[in-house]
Amino acid sequence: MSEQPQHYPISRRNALRQMACGFGYMAAAGISSQQAMASSIANPLLPRTPHLFPRAKRVIFLFMAGGVSQVDSYDYKPLLYKKDGDMLDFTDQRILAKTGMGSSQRVMKPLWDFKQHGQNGAWVSDLFPHMAKHTDEYCVIRSMHTEGVAHGPATLFLHTGSTNLIRPSMGSWISYGLGTESQDMPGFVSLSPSFGNGGPRNYGNAFLPAAYQGTAMGRAGMEATKIGIDNLRNNSLSPDRQKRQFDLLQSMNHEQCQSQPGNSELEAVISSYELAWRMQSNAPEVMDISKESAATKELYGIGEKHTDNYGRQCLMARRMAESGVRFIQVNYSDNSNNPAWDQHNDMPKHKEHALAVDKPVAGLLTDLKKRGLLEDTLVWWGGEFGRTPYAQKNGTGRDHNPTGFSVWLAGGGVKPGLIYGATDEWGQYAIENKVHMHDLHATILYLLGMDHEKLTFRHEGRDYRLTDVHGNVIHDIVA
Amino acid sequence: MFSTPHKLVFTIIVSISAPQVDLWGLDSNDSGIEFFEKRIRPLLVERCIECHGPEKQKGGLRLDFKQGWEVGGDSGPALVPGDLTESRIIHAIHYEDADFQMPPKNKLSDEAIADLEEWIAMGAPDPRSGAVTDSRESGLSVEEGREFWSFKPIEKPKVPAVEDPLWQDSPIDSFIRAAQEAGGIDPAEKASRVDLVRRAYFTLIGMPPSPDQIESFVQDQRDDAFERLVDELLDSPHFGERWGRHWLDVARFAESSGGGRTLLYKDAWRFRDYVIESFNRDVPFDQLVREQIAGDLLPYNTPKQRSRQLIATAFLALGPTNYELQDKQLLRYDVIDEQVDTLGKAFMGMTLGCVRCHDHKFDPIPSEDYYALAGIFKSTRTLYNYTDNVARWVDTPLPMEGVKANELADAESISTELKPQLERKKATQSVFSQHTVNVPKPGPPKPSRLFPGIVVDERDAKVEGAWQFSQYSQNYLDEGYLHDGNIGKGEKAIMFSANIPITGTYEARLAYAEAANRSTQTPVTVSHSKGETAVIVDQTKPPSEYGRFHILGRFEFEEGHRSNVRISNRNTDGYVVADAVQWYLIEDESVIKSNARKEELAKLKTEIKSLESELKPIAQLLKARPIAMTVKEDPEPSDSAIRIRGIESRRGDVVPRGFLQIATLGDTTEIPHNESGRRQLADWIVSPDNPLTSRVIANRIWTWLFGQGIVSSVDNFGTTGQPPSHPELLDYLAIRMQELDWSVKSFVREIMLSETWQLSTQAKSNVVERDPSNRLLAFYPKRRLDAEQLRDAILASSGDIDLALYGPNIDGAGEINANSTAAQKIEYNYVFKDKRRSVYTPAFRVKRHELFELFDFGNINFTIGQRNTSTVALQALYMLNNPFLIDQSHVAAKRLIQDRQNPDERIELAFETTLGRAPTDEERRLIADFLSNGQTSDSVEEWASIFQSLFGSIDFRYLN
Repeated sequence: MSEQPQHYPISRRNALRQMACGFGYMAAAGISSQQAMASSIANPLLPRTPHLFPRAKRVIFLFMAGGVSQVDSYDYKPLLYKKDGDMLDFTDQRILAKTGMGSSQRVMKPLWDFKQHGQNGAWVSDLFPHMAKHTDEYCVIRSMHTEGVAHGPATLFLHTGSTNLIRPSMGSWISYGLGTESQDMPGFVSLSPSFGNGGPRNYGNAFLPAAYQGTAMGRAGMEATKIGIDNLRNNSLSPDRQKRQFDLLQSMNHEQCQSQPGNSELEAVISSYELAWRMQSNAPEVMDISKESAATKELYGIGEKHTDNYGRQCLMARRMAESGVRFIQVNYSDNSNNPAWDQHNDMPKHKEHALAVDKPVAGLLTDLKKRGLLEDTLVWWGGEFGRTPYAQKNGTGRDHNPTGFSVWLAGGGVKPGLIYGATDEWGQYAIENKVHMHDLHATILYLLGMDHEKLTFRHEGRDYRLTDVHGNVIHDIVA
Repeated sequence: MFSTPHKLVFTIIVSISAPQVDLWGLDSNDSGIEFFEKRIRPLLVERCIECHGPEKQKGGLRLDFKQGWEVGGDSGPALVPGDLTESRIIHAIHYEDADFQMPPKNKLSDEAIADLEEWIAMGAPDPRSGAVTDSRESGLSVEEGREFWSFKPIEKPKVPAVEDPLWQDSPIDSFIRAAQEAGGIDPAEKASRVDLVRRAYFTLIGMPPSPDQIESFVQDQRDDAFERLVDELLDSPHFGERWGRHWLDVARFAESSGGGRTLLYKDAWRFRDYVIESFNRDVPFDQLVREQIAGDLLPYNTPKQRSRQLIATAFLALGPTNYELQDKQLLRYDVIDEQVDTLGKAFMGMTLGCVRCHDHKFDPIPSEDYYALAGIFKSTRTLYNYTDNVARWVDTPLPMEGVKANELADAESISTELKPQLERKKATQSVFSQHTVNVPKPGPPKPSRLFPGIVVDERDAKVEGAWQFSQYSQNYLDEGYLHDGNIGKGEKAIMFSANIPITGTYEARLAYAEAANRSTQTPVTVSHSKGETAVIVDQTKPPSEYGRFHILGRFEFEEGHRSNVRISNRNTDGYVVADAVQWYLIEDESVIKSNARKEELAKLKTEIKSLESELKPIAQLLKARPIAMTVKEDPEPSDSAIRIRGIESRRGDVVPRGFLQIATLGDTTEIPHNESGRRQLADWIVSPDNPLTSRVIANRIWTWLFGQGIVSSVDNFGTTGQPPSHPELLDYLAIRMQELDWSVKSFVREIMLSETWQLSTQAKSNVVERDPSNRLLAFYPKRRLDAEQLRDAILASSGDIDLALYGPNIDGAGEINANSTAAQKIEYNYVFKDKRRSVYTPAFRVKRHELFELFDFGNINFTIGQRNTSTVALQALYMLNNPFLIDQSHVAAKRLIQDRQNPDERIELAFETTLGRAPTDEERRLIADFLSNGQTSDSVEEWASIFQSLFGSIDFRYLN
């Protein structure tokens, strides 16, 4: 049994489909088609060489669900202090979508003071004191804009490039394009995803083969100490007894396989049990942070009240990056329709969430850099949209703002310390070097060595892409 | 994997000569050309040509030569020389429309915009030559498409002659065998009786046979034993559970919306039961199509039939709709798109979704056809309205029978009678007590109910033309007000209307927020008991009453009549605004203060109270009646305009409602202007002339019986799909389907009784070599149990299965508001623990049953014509460690230890209940070894391990 090749098995039907797809890709990548067929039939998740120069090998996406306020964090707008409290005419996106009209709104100044940081003198507010220390390591894009005014559509758009239609998630596209370097771990992992705002569609493979679907580990709201791969442990049998049972199963399988020798699908079933057995032994170690040094844990804020939960997940993300997982998403979210960062009527609550993520994220950057991982790991921090520069319904919160917001990218071939793009004087509309979410998708694929116009999958007679018919690579931010 | 598109969609042939100035035209245009060369050409090169030049032609537009902008892109010429307002490019560079901003990344500088405007104003002189040959390729034309196999008329083919006598009885066998003879391969032997009975049970009812059922078939020596088995299983009520499930896959059935804010489809189970029952009753398939598309429009004889037909329309309603999408017109078209796409795939194997944005690139389906279908669904209400923040679907109360029906009918008639009475009394109360109202001060927005008399807000008014909603001027009532945008003069009107509760003289007043930019001559017409009176209002002046209402005049009104106040924007000279209208009763102080009035008011109060208490239980009764998720006709059916590039706000030509030209080979019924056209659409789909429908369903059923289709792309019969392996057999089956009056059971029976279906899975020696994908069906394809079969088989083997038929199965879904957070919590926190058959397992779109998620149920948001079979380690982990497997293994073990004492008999029975066969010698030895290594051979633990290994084994998971 131990002589079984380490294949990630797939069905014959899938294998045949892979073969068809593999051809085009390998032709583009300049690899012989024979080799292409051999490798893609055996394993859809084998690592593949992209056809552009890859600057990053993997992505860690720190998803701030609900929408961080750009005007309270990275987008400094002095005018907001000057006009604080004034009723002015704004084009509110929600009212606009429903009525096509502008409306009068009360300007609200930032709740946290801004200072300049680092060599690049980037403005960051006191909301994120730890992340502020790293401004020379990441590139802040202040001119993001996206589709969808409500969380559901915008969150789906961020993950799949579509507000409403069923499309594969970005992580699935990337696994499809690049495979994975880990044969003991899934290639695309989403840590603590929410059920809300699209739920599994945000890490779903849609029409791509099932091998590319994201594996959810934990659920939003679950303690980080309980996160793991489903069904990884047998809670009923001792290891010895389970080994006996496993051997019985595999012996029977080999016996039953005899009836149809050479049936690759049946062989794949046997291999899938072998891999499961290996995952059962190895994956817990990847997820286990207990052997990390005290200093490392302290770096991520593990053991501290506010930061323990997200810190553990960021550290797990680093361990997964080391073990070759291709796309790791660390969600900061919950299961409600108004997710974590969604402060419609209580802006000060932003501080609570900032406390939870600020130190762990900064710790992750430090740790990745120290280990030389930041060079080929692309770290993306951000949410599905930003927030309005004015108070919602004249209250104490801010509404959604998809027309201008900030995200940052670190490592993986991005110009460190660059401040890119700008919003208008209010921080509401991106106006200079605008980066649409489609553009961000195209750029991330580019950094991974893929051309977003060529990463296609034929479904129902049409070639689909992550960026649909849109998207421009933002070469300005590429190092 | 990385592939370039197969076809270039827009083949544009261009010849560009070197840039040159036309020296001969200097006298007329020299300064213009100079301006172009200095200011415009560099601008175009720098900011536009990258996307609208030789490399890319976004939107089909080129700006690198003159004819490029003259011909223009998908939405016509880019500019009109001399006319700024008609030049699309000007609107784009000003960023006026959020969907249409050019250049997309950075707005042009004010200077550049001014240059472009000046250039266009001077007539857009442009010396650049070059010609565009616009040969837009859109796959096949409709005429060319008629030659493609799936669009040709279906004709009954001649049954081929075959040598082997065994293969001559059934035409199906003759078609299959003839192809094998041509390919030089021989069919496998007939499957063993043990394999055949298991295959028949799983195929027809989705569950394994019990050891007794196996035994009785194996021992049945009659010639027609298999025929009897098939008939018995077709009659089982579990047939509908298995075959209904196939159709539920096609119908992308689910019990929640998924998407952004997932909503619980709490009544969707009625559609599931409708499907199961239809297959059990063998309702003809063409009838099923009619009911699902137009059940609400079909005639009926009984309330039960009416209910059935209403429930069927959930087919159109239960897609993955993102109800919270804010742009409700976009949502409306997204829903239509989903319906057209699902309908196309489900019934006709056509992919229509892509035609929303352009002519089909591969199939002979022009955009007009898509929008002809879209018009039918645009004329159908699927969303309750287009204004709710979180939209809703259409709930329809189901008609009832007997006592309950009478009760409800009574309740309804009482409700219809009493409700207007109550409203009138309340209105009387409010005009009689208008003097006691403490009127809000002028200033910020206030609810209209705080004002005296009868007040009707703009929210409840009827509008003509495109008014715009605003909250800009702050002294409005309720949520805001409307204005005409100071455009479209003479095209817009708004009518406020009230029921007059009591005869008398009223002052009619109009609420608006004055401003300097308002119209000084807004025409208002008041209808009253003496006729109509026209009034002109100067809306730049502040209203006199409480800073909000302007007095239009005093008029006589009669009780029980309606009074209308209509505001138009005809001949106005500024913004026309309308917020609310008030009817204020004019009475003498003496009357108001009289004792009679006090008594009247006291009497009204009592009457209102008693009416309200009478109506309350009635309202509750009406609320509790069974509800179905349905669609209904739109009150104003209309055709749809083409959306250019699928963008909702960019309209092209209006297309009459209709069907796909390519699949229209016979006569079609005209769609009456006052109907959506769904009835006619259903008739067209199931018409014998439609070349697609019967081919598609025949192929689906074949696929469900063999695991592979004659056309392997079961949902795609277009040019990008796969051609049929046996075209004549497919046509034979399509005709047969119609000859059998679309009876699914008879059709299934004919196929299952063929030799082909009863072959063994063991191929003869040279077969796999010659036909590796078994397209010639020389052996029966070994198939893996799908998710439902796997779960049901485990439960059936352990004996733990709950075989209750029909009915809802989501704990707590009952009477909750489906559009609420509580409903979502039901889904998010759901624990799947019932033991019912898998077809009843709650089919949520967000929280899936883990086993379904892992074992290739597929994407619950799409039509699933065929399940995939992936083999991944997460499945193996499930089989090894999931508590469901462990529990069920223990249940099975306990039962076995009770039922049999002898170890050999135990081994025997364990294999028969799980694998449907006796163990092989080797298996018997493996189990005996396992037991002898264990602590005690009588322990539940040991036997549970054996059962779990059997459940995980290849012969349990695969069907011979």
